[in-house]
Amino acid sequence: MEESKNNIEITDSSGDKYKYGFTTEIEADTVPVGLNADVIRLISKKKGEPEWLLDWRLKAFEFWQGMKEPTWAKLQYDKIDYQSLSYYSAPKQKVKPQSLQDVDKELLETYEKLGIPLKEQEVLAGVVAVDAVFDSVSVATTYRAKLAEQGVIFCSISEAVKEHPDLVKQYLGSVVPYTDNFFACLNSAVFTDGSFVYIPKGVKCPMELSTYFRINAKNTGQFERTLIVADDDSYVSYLEGCTAPQRDENQLHAAIVEIVVLNNAEVKYSTVQNWYPGDKDGKGGVYNFVTKRAACRGENSKVSWTQVETGSAVTWKYPSCVLQGNNSSGEFYSVAITNNHQQADTGTKMIHIGKNTTSKITSKGISAGMSNQTYRGLVKISPNADNARNYTQCDSLLIGDKCGSHTVPYIENRNKKAQLEHEATTSKISDEQLFYCRQRGIDEEEAVSLIVNGFCKDVMQHLPMEFAIEAAKLINISLEGSIG
Amino acid sequence: MSKLLHDIKLIGDDIPWLKDMRSAGRDAFAVSGLPQPKAEAWKYTKPIRFFAEDFLPAPHGESCSSPNKNLPFNACKIYFENGVFCSCDEDIPQGVEVLPLIEAIMFKPEIRGKIGASADITKHQFAALNQAYLGEGVYIKVAAGTKVAKPLVIINHITTDRELRQYSLRNLVIMEDSSKAEIMEYYCYDGELKSSYFVNMVNEIYIGENASLHHYKLQSEAYKAAHIALNSVFVAGYGEYKSFCLQKGADLSRNETKVILSAEYAKTEVDAAYIMNGWATIDTTTDIEHLKPFTQSSQLVKGVIGGQAKGVFQGKIHIAPQAVKTEGYQLHKAMLLSDEAEIDVKPELEIFADDVKCSHGAASGELNADQLFYMRSRGIGEEEARQILIDAYLNDVIAKIDNQEIKQFMSMAANPLKERE
Repeated sequence: MEESKNNIEITDSSGDKYKYGFTTEIEADTVPVGLNADVIRLISKKKGEPEWLLDWRLKAFEFWQGMKEPTWAKLQYDKIDYQSLSYYSAPKQKVKPQSLQDVDKELLETYEKLGIPLKEQEVLAGVVAVDAVFDSVSVATTYRAKLAEQGVIFCSISEAVKEHPDLVKQYLGSVVPYTDNFFACLNSAVFTDGSFVYIPKGVKCPMELSTYFRINAKNTGQFERTLIVADDDSYVSYLEGCTAPQRDENQLHAAIVEIVVLNNAEVKYSTVQNWYPGDKDGKGGVYNFVTKRAACRGENSKVSWTQVETGSAVTWKYPSCVLQGNNSSGEFYSVAITNNHQQADTGTKMIHIGKNTTSKITSKGISAGMSNQTYRGLVKISPNADNARNYTQCDSLLIGDKCGSHTVPYIENRNKKAQLEHEATTSKISDEQLFYCRQRGIDEEEAVSLIVNGFCKDVMQHLPMEFAIEAAKLINISLEGSIG
Repeated sequence: MSKLLHDIKLIGDDIPWLKDMRSAGRDAFAVSGLPQPKAEAWKYTKPIRFFAEDFLPAPHGESCSSPNKNLPFNACKIYFENGVFCSCDEDIPQGVEVLPLIEAIMFKPEIRGKIGASADITKHQFAALNQAYLGEGVYIKVAAGTKVAKPLVIINHITTDRELRQYSLRNLVIMEDSSKAEIMEYYCYDGELKSSYFVNMVNEIYIGENASLHHYKLQSEAYKAAHIALNSVFVAGYGEYKSFCLQKGADLSRNETKVILSAEYAKTEVDAAYIMNGWATIDTTTDIEHLKPFTQSSQLVKGVIGGQAKGVFQGKIHIAPQAVKTEGYQLHKAMLLSDEAEIDVKPELEIFADDVKCSHGAASGELNADQLFYMRSRGIGEEEARQILIDAYLNDVIAKIDNQEIKQFMSMAANPLKERE
């Protein structure tokens, strides 16, 4: 007992400011506070949307009014007053920028601080295309021309609505219908922007696509909507990274990501989530309620979710795979780190419908400080999913005696030919490992981060290279101050 | 009036606290009713389907015929027929007190604080219903330091000529410090295979310091019966609760075990097996609460499901803040034998302390084709080969039973081929 106290003790000395906590002063064009049908009409009008999309939004809004906010997650947060939020905010710009020179200087500086290679396109020389989202409207999209050569569409969803209405109409809401859940429904009614990706038949996307999101204007929730369609025999790797400026008030983020994967196609979706987690007393921070789902519609289709979750005061997120096509496969790799007063309820759903479908879940949770974390997952095998296979591993690491770590998996098997395995463990950092490192002159904090990085390795190796390096740093930053 | 709640004459209504308890149970059930489809604690088991019809409570103090259930091993038998205390073997071991519950209520005022104390009627709807009819059951007390040599077996025998009855029974077991005993519950029936009745059990078990109870249960109810049981166990420091439950009967069956490890070095093993065909739902639910450091728990549950049956396992390990140096282990394995069978599993860990070792595992699949082929190639018929494999599969958990005779008995019960011999 004594020993563990000495090794792992919570100190309040975490004085480190959130690294990305700065605010850009840009005039924002904000719609009046509150939510009603008129606000939705206004959003739709400002974005110059067609009639069908407005109708869809209004239907979603009507449905949302009859819905109740879910309470089943192990999360505690102050009630959100949805009427006190502003649902639209776009940086004021009279003319749409034609090139980077036209873009607001301050904005570019913000990105520079974040290290996004937007200013000089040569910086990452054809490796990453950034569709940077500043609050709600895409500001600039790079590499579009190069992608267009191959027929890849990578643009903001509002542009897609105008330029590729048929594709959007066909797939929007087909994976996450507006009736799906409270937050998805809200998003469907008020979503402002997001990314749209279409990979045509037989195309292997030549570069990794990347979007950086930033929450900026005060009191605006962000309602992003991303739609990725991978047509037959195509491949794309998509990166999503988030940082948010420091704020005292809680900010709401309710995003949707929909992925459609057709025959023999593969989509790899990687996320590093680093929204502002609140200060060490649990004040402020982002509320992150995200619905992410991929539908493997085609045969031999494949989708893989990789996420590193270190930010947000409250996370509610379950990237899922609906394995409809025969031989399709879904993967989920997750590292979630919570410190101080952060709360995360996250996991995945693997729904096996087609024959010979496989899924793999690897979830690593690390709780420190006063934080609480829950893995919540579902593996469902429907009666037709012959020879379905699932392997799930959830490991949790606890640092300090005031945090909590919970595991709530649901396993539903309706096919005798399916083989399911689930394993979960919870423990603290072993004293022996720590002692071993200390004995070789590594200080305690570094030793812990070494061990934690080793613990997460299974997941980190699935991240694209640039992301993996950033994520490893992020893990260290997230745990700073949790070890005394 | 809510379904399942009926006005009948109950013995002991002149005892004010008993009357109060009954009406508290009544009120609680009137408010809650049956578990609703969205209730998380009943996520996969839907009792509403079964209770489309009403069940009348068995009147208190009915007479019963002479006991006629024999056991293949030496035991002290406590016999219930159709939910009524019938008789108890005369050779009760020394240091053990056995009384019909109603007599204990009348003459042992000290049990007042124990009965109903651990089965929370606001959380457990069926415990509330049980409390509304409180009175039948058995009270067993094992005096401090007593080591009981032979098992006490509570036989609940239903003669199925009385359709649509509900039987609410409650057993109170008190193990005083440093005592040791084995208790087995045996649920069986005679007559029509498809008769419909409802057994609503609550066991409240208190295990004192350094005491040990081995608790076995065989549920072999009629095919259209419902059997719902709540075992609420409180374990003091260095105490041990070890249980095994085999469920193989009933249309709707649930065995819920809640163990509170209340002090340091308390430990528990909650094992179970189930085997089911037909249309039944069979549910094993556990909730282990580690409240103090150095507590230990282990669970092993294995099931075999065929026909259109549904097997449910919900297991929860809760570790309270400061309950460090605890160990919690849980494993559920299930085998599906048919295309329409279903397995639903929810193993849950809820951990608020860092220095713990907890793990759970769950797996499901079908009979191993290679193993089956191996036996077929050696001239063993398919039916028999399957049975041998199932038997071996369940044997993992049955083998953990310490008492050889009970192990043999359970092993027979789990295997219809052996039963025929």
